[in-house]
Amino acid sequence: MKLFWFEIYKTFSRWRTYISFTVIVLIVILTEVVMKLSAGEIIYRMMRPFQKDFLISGNILNAWFVTAFIMNSLHIHIPFLLTLVAGDMVSGEANSGTIRFVLIRPPSRSRIITTKYLTALFYTAGLVTFFGLVCVSLGLPLFGSGDLIVHHYGKFDIAFIPESEIPLRILLAFLAAIWSMTVVASIAFLFSTLAENSIGPIIGTMAVVIVFLIFGNLPLDFFRTLRPYLFTTYMVNLWQQFLNIPIPWQEIVRSAMILGLHNAGLFLIAFFIFRRKDIKS
Amino acid sequence: MKKILLFWVLLLLSPQWTLAQEDAFRYLDSIERKYAGLRDYIAEVTVHFDIETFKAPDMQAKLYYKVPDKMKVESKRVLFFPREGGFFNPSLFKKEDFEIKFLERFTYDGAKAVKLKLTPKKIKRTIQEFVLTIDTDRNVIREMDVTQFDGRAMKVSIEYGKFDSFELPARILLKLDIPSFESEGVKEFDQLIQKPKRVTGTIEITYSNYKVNSGLSDNIFKETESSMSGGSPEGKSR
Repeated sequence: MKLFWFEIYKTFSRWRTYISFTVIVLIVILTEVVMKLSAGEIIYRMMRPFQKDFLISGNILNAWFVTAFIMNSLHIHIPFLLTLVAGDMVSGEANSGTIRFVLIRPPSRSRIITTKYLTALFYTAGLVTFFGLVCVSLGLPLFGSGDLIVHHYGKFDIAFIPESEIPLRILLAFLAAIWSMTVVASIAFLFSTLAENSIGPIIGTMAVVIVFLIFGNLPLDFFRTLRPYLFTTYMVNLWQQFLNIPIPWQEIVRSAMILGLHNAGLFLIAFFIFRRKDIKS
Repeated sequence: MKKILLFWVLLLLSPQWTLAQEDAFRYLDSIERKYAGLRDYIAEVTVHFDIETFKAPDMQAKLYYKVPDKMKVESKRVLFFPREGGFFNPSLFKKEDFEIKFLERFTYDGAKAVKLKLTPKKIKRTIQEFVLTIDTDRNVIREMDVTQFDGRAMKVSIEYGKFDSFELPARILLKLDIPSFESEGVKEFDQLIQKPKRVTGTIEITYSNYKVNSGLSDNIFKETESSMSGGSPEGKSR
């Protein structure tokens, strides 16, 4: 436990760690202010399929809607922010020449790599939680509360979540988002054990995420058959399922288990690589 | 010779046609007379949706109506209220606004009924035509088939109750059949060759706690804020 807190201290002592938090604050502030200023346009576009058939009233553009809207971009920008730290966990030590020093101390390689991995997961959880807190705490005074209208853009398809259910659903959605993002952290962590500097793991992880996302979205039969084998399919869908009616628990458990298996597999590979790693720096 | 024959046929048929048209006007007149004393009403409404792609719980609202066509729905929460056929407006079918065609006389729910086709003389919104089923014993509209130019179709069934000596809707059932809206974004290849899907389902609106002729002020219907937060172009009343 002491080792874990030591790693946490080390991680949060680096200024690089705070880049992600700063970027998140900037993204959320900018997005929410722009959404506030162009609220009419957003609602018009969003409600276009329904306006011919319905008179619509009430606070649709509320904090929960804005949070869900920003969360939709989660799979694009959060992975990059995660890799900045997770991709630096082991390779950063190698790059700065401290890995040898770390390894001559009493804790075993197994304990060190496990602690570093747990620290990467802690950072992931902290970043996504922070993201959620910023979205909601800024959104509530700006947009107020209300029922959440989850709408599939451009389609006559809507899920209406009553205000009373939203806090719990959003909380579960963010927990699911944390779980999804741990896979990205695990990939970055694995690459970090393979590299001697942080650039490789960061770029490598982003390349994997972007390529998988593109493959998963290409409207061709070949790529459609690939979808179940891409972790990004489950990563993107997992949190969104908590905003469905009814909540598809079976699908959620399945996605969570697949992502969990990815985490376990990636960590085990990193674990064995690090244990056998020949330190030359 | 043929022209003379045609002339006689038209001459023989024209009184029938004129009679049918007069009848059609008479049915609308009867409804107008029946509700001549109705100046306004307030009612509590519950909207229940049964549409596969519209997953929403029942919505409650207060509906205000004032002759000839002022309407407002008010709800503390987000509300979707059907634009066409969702509320009762006895002044909607003014005979001078429509080309009216008598279609048939039949029995509806054990009562004498007629079916009329109404085509707006001036295009308002996107309504192409209405087909009304009028209970001629009670002088009320029991069914309404609405067809719109963009392929939207709707069947409205109305059940009435007695409220303050007026027969007003207690339950309105709307059966929707509308083209599914698709965005202009990237479509999957097979979507391009597929026939566009249609959205079908029902909306049930239950009316209760009517307050009739309470002297509603026009100010109630004035737009004080936009209906959807964030300055949307839509209004509450119409």
